[in-house]
Amino acid sequence: MRPAMLFVDVASRFRSDIKVSNGDTEVDGKSIMQMTMLAATVGAKLKITADGVDAEEALEALRELVEVRQFDES
Amino acid sequence: MKLIDLVCEKAVITKLGSNDRDSVIRELVDALDRAKVFSGSAEDIAKAVIKRENEASTGIGKGVAIPHVKSEQVKSPVVAIGLSEVGIDFSALDNQLVYSTILLISPNDNPDTHLLAMEVIFKNLQKDDFRSFLKQAKTVEAIMDLVKEADDDIV
Amino acid sequence: MEIKKGIAVSPGIAIAKAMVINSQDYRIPRRAILPSQLDVELKRVRNAFASAISELKELEKSKSISESNIKDIFAVHMRFLRDRSLRKKICDLVKKDLIVAEYAVSVTLREIASHFASIKDAYISERATDIYDIEKRLLKQLIDSSNQDVEHITEECIVVANDLSPTQTASFDRRFVKGFATNTGGRTSHTAIVARSLGIPAVVALEDVSSVTDVGATVIIDGNRGVVIINPDEETLAQYEIYYEDFARLEHELDSLRELPAKTRDGVEISLLGNIEFPEEADIILDKGGYGVGLYRTEFLYLQSKSEPSEEDHYEAYLKVVEKLKSKPVIIRTMDLGADKVVHDNHFQVEDNPVLGLRSIRYCLQHMLLFKTQLRAILRVSAISNVKIMFPLISNLQELLQAKMILRDVMEDLDEYSVPYNPDIEIGIMVETPSAALTASMLARECDFFSIGTNDLIQYTLAVDRANERVATLYSANDPAVLRLLRNIVYDASKAKIALSVCGEMASEPENVLLLIGMGVRTLSIAPAMIPEVKKVIRSVTVQHCNNLARQALSMNSKRQVSNFLRDAAIKILPEAF
Repeated sequence: MRPAMLFVDVASRFRSDIKVSNGDTEVDGKSIMQMTMLAATVGAKLKITADGVDAEEALEALRELVEVRQFDES
Repeated sequence: MKLIDLVCEKAVITKLGSNDRDSVIRELVDALDRAKVFSGSAEDIAKAVIKRENEASTGIGKGVAIPHVKSEQVKSPVVAIGLSEVGIDFSALDNQLVYSTILLISPNDNPDTHLLAMEVIFKNLQKDDFRSFLKQAKTVEAIMDLVKEADDDIV
Repeated sequence: MEIKKGIAVSPGIAIAKAMVINSQDYRIPRRAILPSQLDVELKRVRNAFASAISELKELEKSKSISESNIKDIFAVHMRFLRDRSLRKKICDLVKKDLIVAEYAVSVTLREIASHFASIKDAYISERATDIYDIEKRLLKQLIDSSNQDVEHITEECIVVANDLSPTQTASFDRRFVKGFATNTGGRTSHTAIVARSLGIPAVVALEDVSSVTDVGATVIIDGNRGVVIINPDEETLAQYEIYYEDFARLEHELDSLRELPAKTRDGVEISLLGNIEFPEEADIILDKGGYGVGLYRTEFLYLQSKSEPSEEDHYEAYLKVVEKLKSKPVIIRTMDLGADKVVHDNHFQVEDNPVLGLRSIRYCLQHMLLFKTQLRAILRVSAISNVKIMFPLISNLQELLQAKMILRDVMEDLDEYSVPYNPDIEIGIMVETPSAALTASMLARECDFFSIGTNDLIQYTLAVDRANERVATLYSANDPAVLRLLRNIVYDASKAKIALSVCGEMASEPENVLLLIGMGVRTLSIAPAMIPEVKKVIRSVTVQHCNNLARQALSMNSKRQVSNFLRDAAIKILPEAF
């Protein structure tokens, strides 16, 4: 639950629409319900897309959260 | 409120010398007076207790009476306890003699503390064990122990 | 159209729209809404989210939530509550299926929870609990708010619920509530007593009426036959409208007895007093030709508000009644609640058996300040009226003496401040425990009157919980054990020359009115709505005949035999009452 929560928190800071897909389903990256329903476990591959004025910053922030910090909250 | 905070140890009498109601009241009031709990005349207090007792008996049955009065001579409620072997006629309402007398003097400017003192006395008196241990107590220490135990709900 | 059969507990016919009350621990039914109600329902969803969020914020602030894993859980809850797509999903479901918000919330969140639970990853599957918690949070808001709606009813309705608590019945606006239908309960449950005293038709023990009734559906309550009809067809509705008129006409006929004395055919006057729960009911007593208030229950004061009632709260409630009654007698009963019902008691300990626990006068004698507040108010009212004070649940002489001693102490406090009161106020007790009944001669020497509370007396004597449907048939006013205790109490009261009344349910049952008169009872205190009917019974009999009936009843050895005998006798005298 915690990674989904962090992801939603970061995504929600941006105005762009953010979608997350695991290949089969695409969900709203700002919705904790949809993100948890996506039920990504460790090692799962996710595709993140952003569409809007701050799309690039958003993608960068999310990439940093997922790849660099690996959901570490510090 | 705890009973132990109310009871004046120097006014706990395990063998009352008197055998009639008014003398018992006087004996307990005098004991409180010797413990210096009053700011004025002990005789006034005794008279007030007796006057009130004449109006309505405080013998509440099962061998117990709770004579009481409010007075400006005390700052907080104070209790004297007297036990009688022969039993005293308090004109108790169940026509039984009284073996345990619990005298309560409360300040007259704070009716709530008086009621709280009555509450804690009632609460303990309704326990059969408390009443029977009290009646059987032989020493002041035994009574004070009993009071402490009652406060802690052991009795 | 759906017809449900239950137990008729208060007579009359009512036809109105349903107001359904949910309770949190009860299954949330799939209940439909009308398309016109859609906007209201969607707004309820939004409000529930908003209030759940603010409640959670408050919780987070409180110091006890410093533990980090609880904080985490709250953080998750908060994000779900703020999730627009969750809210949308619920709203869409309400729109699509036209169902109540509670049901949509429940279905949606349970679906998410079961999805989680099915995932193999233990961490995620355990998160299903969080989702159930969120469901509970939202439901709580929805149900609390709908219960509050009940307090603000503004149009005529029939209240349908699993069960009604004294708190709920106390908060109803009685101008609009036309009838009660509940899943549980029996003849002497709280809902039944309140309904009878208000003269509102009620049917209880309907099993699942609260889940099969839609909000706003038309409901007919037939409190004479114990039938509830949901969404009646036109024919049934028309038929019931005729019954309704007929019943109203019959009531009107009884009302014509208002000015006539409650005197038997051989000229013995019986005092008919009313039992009331709320000040407003005093009007009904006067309307129906009652002579005074024989039992003013004061529990509503403790149940209606979230804080302990003040002396002024008491005083005003009593004043309202005595102003209406003028010089007529008003018997105020001191607080008669169990410790579990005194909501403002912070030291409350759970009791295994509250009916036999610290309740009523026992509670008062251990909560002196609460007791004092009520006694002061009663005494103050006594200065300007004919009020009497009555202590409930006295089970031994000591309790009565202690209560009287405290009353005296409170009088002295009033003297101190020169507050006027009636120093000779009459003091009475409820005789409602077997121990009081058996020691009535001792108790009679220490009080001015007895009032026999037959409901509790029967329950304690026969060891039957009157609300438990599985043993309810054992509960009977006609049990030989009960009759013997009654005879004993009446005898002791008359020997001590003190006043005696009967204030339980049985005093308003025609066949038992005959029995009680025959046993020597001359004062009955009953639900105000029943006064005309009981007056009619009294005016149709002779004391001599009642004496015979009572003598024979006392010689019988089963409750069934007594009941049948009395019923036959009553039918002969008053066929229309049955």
